[in-house]
Amino acid sequence: MSIKKDQIVVIVAALLFCSAIYTVFVYAPTERVMGPIQKIFYFHLSSALVAFLSFFTAFVSGVLFLIRKDLKWDVVGVASVEIGLVFTTLVLITGVLWGRPVWNTWWTWDPRLTTSLILWFIYASYFILRSSVERQDKRAVFCAVLAIVGFVDVPIVFLSARLWRTIHPVVIRAGSIDMAPAMITTLLVSLGTFTLLWALLLYHRTRTLTMAGRVKNLEKRLDGGIL
Amino acid sequence: MSGFWLILQKDLHAEFRKPESVISMVFFGFLLLVILNLAIPLGSEISSETGAGILWVAITFSSILGLNRTMSQEKENRCMDGLLLSPVSIEEFFAAKMVVNVVLMLLAECSIVPLFFILYGDSFFQSLPMLVLVVLLANIGFAAIGTLFSAITAGTSRNEALLPLLFYPLVIPLISITVKVTSMIFQGAVIKDYSSWLYVMLAYGCIFTGLGFLLLGHVVRE
Repeated sequence: MSIKKDQIVVIVAALLFCSAIYTVFVYAPTERVMGPIQKIFYFHLSSALVAFLSFFTAFVSGVLFLIRKDLKWDVVGVASVEIGLVFTTLVLITGVLWGRPVWNTWWTWDPRLTTSLILWFIYASYFILRSSVERQDKRAVFCAVLAIVGFVDVPIVFLSARLWRTIHPVVIRAGSIDMAPAMITTLLVSLGTFTLLWALLLYHRTRTLTMAGRVKNLEKRLDGGIL
Repeated sequence: MSGFWLILQKDLHAEFRKPESVISMVFFGFLLLVILNLAIPLGSEISSETGAGILWVAITFSSILGLNRTMSQEKENRCMDGLLLSPVSIEEFFAAKMVVNVVLMLLAECSIVPLFFILYGDSFFQSLPMLVLVVLLANIGFAAIGTLFSAITAGTSRNEALLPLLFYPLVIPLISITVKVTSMIFQGAVIKDYSSWLYVMLAYGCIFTGLGFLLLGHVVRE
């Protein structure tokens, strides 16, 4: 993609984001029981979707890396785990903010909350692993393995989180199917916006990481030449 | 299958000559059982959930010492290169290391579980037969992930400090299921109530053993 096209896509995403904010705050009706706090739901769910997309991408690029041994896939893997971790953090923060007024507690050991927290731990450890391996190809293999194992763990984490505590808190299904049509539209708009944002972030992050790698290699060669 | 037996024999032989892993595992597990006692109000009977939690924290935290050792010992004198050059397949190597880990954990548990009963009351004692099954199933899962990830951490600069950071997030589901099932056993529940979770534990072990077979080759060849 040329720089110009890049810019256009960024502008489109920004406009779309503005319209998403508009639909959330103006177009969507205020929920009767929960009040305006329920509006956090649209971005909360969208962040969750994007986080899941990222981890899935990390899993796929991990598999592709181990098959093809092409460092390109390692870069895609890191970029997507980074983005996924950011959005998981957002899911947790928005969830906590939402839970306080609605459930009257910051945190409950609900399966979904527990699952996202454990996911956050798994993918945060990805960066600890990354920072402790120097050699590029070795680091790529190790990280690919962790991305694969971590993703396979996700369904089991969710299954076991149901067991976490015997006293199940009242699980509030905020996004139950009987949502107002305007709410569904709003949700779809924010889902679409977040997905575009995700694709954009992934593309740009992959590009910067590739360039950073290239610069590093050039520096190394330059050092070798001079010394 | 001979490669499998050779590595298994070699590791167990080394361990019996100088039982570093098992002794440190048992010692640390015992220590944890004592330290965790601080969390219990004085003079009160512990609930089955607390008991199960204490037992499994002691077992999982002590097992990390053994898991770390199995792969990092191959780094000394570059034994790993020798193993890779030998005509032992990666699958046999993984299976042998995993079995070694299961055996080491079992040996440690043979001391930790009785110590638990002594320290926290033998009212749980009647649940021993089912507890053995749970311990076996949990060990398979722990050993599968532990073997794969100790191979990874043995290849990093941070070495043994890194394994707990990678290992625990991945085994949290297994630990939580195990604790739950153990507390049900302590309560004297009938097997029908928790048998489905035993299958989940078995599935967990199978899935990660399979992944270990698939992925260990990539890890150790680096």
